[in-house]
Amino acid sequence: MGEKISLEELKKVAQLAKLQFEEGELMRFFQDVNEIVAHFEKLDQLDLRDVSPTSHISWSQPPVHADDPTEWKGEEKVFQHAPVVWNRYFVVPRVVEKEER
Amino acid sequence: MADFYVTIGLEVHCQLLTRTKMFCQCGTDYIGKAPNTLVCPVCMGIPGSLPVLNEKALELAIKTALAFRCEILPQVVFHRKNYFYPDLPKGYQISQYNFPVGVNGFVEFFTQGTKKRVRIKRVHVEEDAGKLIHEGLGLPPNSSGVDFNRCGIPLVEIVTEPDIHSPEEARDYLVMLRSMVRYIGASDGNMEEGSLRCDANVSVSPSPLELGTKVEVKNMNSFRSVFRALHYEIERQKRVLLEGGMVIQETRHWDEREGMTVSARGKEEAEDYRYFPDPDLLPVAIKPEDVEEIEKTLPELPLERRERFMTEYELTESEAGILTQEKDIADFFEACLREFRKPRLVCNWMLTEVLKNLNELNIDIMQSKITPGSLVELIKMVDKKEISGTIAKDILEEMFVSGGKVKEIMARKGISFITSEKELERIAREAIEKNPQSVADYLSGKEKALHFLIGQVMKMTRGQADPETVKSLLLKELSSGE
Repeated sequence: MGEKISLEELKKVAQLAKLQFEEGELMRFFQDVNEIVAHFEKLDQLDLRDVSPTSHISWSQPPVHADDPTEWKGEEKVFQHAPVVWNRYFVVPRVVEKEER
Repeated sequence: MADFYVTIGLEVHCQLLTRTKMFCQCGTDYIGKAPNTLVCPVCMGIPGSLPVLNEKALELAIKTALAFRCEILPQVVFHRKNYFYPDLPKGYQISQYNFPVGVNGFVEFFTQGTKKRVRIKRVHVEEDAGKLIHEGLGLPPNSSGVDFNRCGIPLVEIVTEPDIHSPEEARDYLVMLRSMVRYIGASDGNMEEGSLRCDANVSVSPSPLELGTKVEVKNMNSFRSVFRALHYEIERQKRVLLEGGMVIQETRHWDEREGMTVSARGKEEAEDYRYFPDPDLLPVAIKPEDVEEIEKTLPELPLERRERFMTEYELTESEAGILTQEKDIADFFEACLREFRKPRLVCNWMLTEVLKNLNELNIDIMQSKITPGSLVELIKMVDKKEISGTIAKDILEEMFVSGGKVKEIMARKGISFITSEKELERIAREAIEKNPQSVADYLSGKEKALHFLIGQVMKMTRGQADPETVKSLLLKELSSGE
């Protein structure tokens, strides 16, 4: 089977998804992903010239909410699950690359 | 120096004036609130929570797209824009991609004395991110604090085609955009508070036939900083080209303090948003009859109103421009005219004294205590010479602060009321009778004596008479007495 996705591409996808793998795991995914992509190529044999792309299969009008605020009182519970909280802020490792307004 | 052709496209984000967030019912009134008080599982990205669209946000986005003369697409689709940053709890922002709310619009505005049209590429809705702070007493070192109060507030993004060719045009476009979103009630357009944000794509080319390399400039927090940043960036790119170099396609951040743009290169090269349709949100069909209903709610827009003020009230382009930039000011002006149809007179008062008082108090006209009725009452009294212009200005100042009718303020401040010229005539005669020497001096040709007499009348009226009227009355009395 020829490679559809190169190892470099796979590493880029992992980096974008912030996932880290051992070399062995990476090789296993390398094989899996290529098999999946090969399967898509098989689907490509279908003649879909007159079919528009489908992202959702439901055509009903989605639910909407009215513009009236309601208060949710569970944030204390969320704070309990946060590793570090300071003055009601969730504390995360500093990201300095991007300037903040 | 060689000619350069400057091309600018602007992307503006405006916070929509909804009471709730875009996909949950948390409140949006986040300014001054304690961190993480306007939050819920949806806007904090807690697994298992599902977004439900805010109808009002979509309506305001359609209204914005219509104001910018866009075609409204029959179907609105939400996409996930994926990136990692601590202010984005889900790991993606719900935005729009190939099916935005509106496309192919335009906007017209005056710039440097001529009317300009800028094409609008697209108008779409998306959710805002949270806020990070990097400093604070007790914040652990090398860490940042995350506040999700702003996260999920609906934004409308308005993207131009690259039709802008100078920082002046960019500024005038932004002034018009801000005025429009405020007119239609879509956003308060406050750039300093971050409810209007602007990014710019700038390129410079030695040839009008091809575009130069595009640089994206971010982090501009006021109209003034947009103007300065564009000016700086254009000069920087020209310098690079003149020195035989090449402009690099990159993102640059405006540093307000240093007055320069700084490369953010390297940081965003891994940026690959992997847009895909959000499976949690169904596409929304936009019915033509709904669009028609929304279109009916559009008010007369600033440019139309400006042009109408010029023809209907015979105002100059700049007068009409100032009066129509803010809807409340234009409404106030026209409310005055309904009671007193002298546009020239009312315009003069509006552009000088009214705006001066608003500036000094740093408030909007709606926040002030003045009403069209009380302003008209005041202008009428000056027009009939019942009070002097100087006194009227004092009264106006008082009206801005404490409100009330002209006569109430006069009573309160102990200003008497010169009802008619008859009353003034009497006072003028009295001044003449009491100062025979001055009268003699004047009659023997001493001009100065007249000024003394005018001064006496002003004193007797405690400064409330109009000096010009006093002068003419005195002259009349003096000549009849000869």
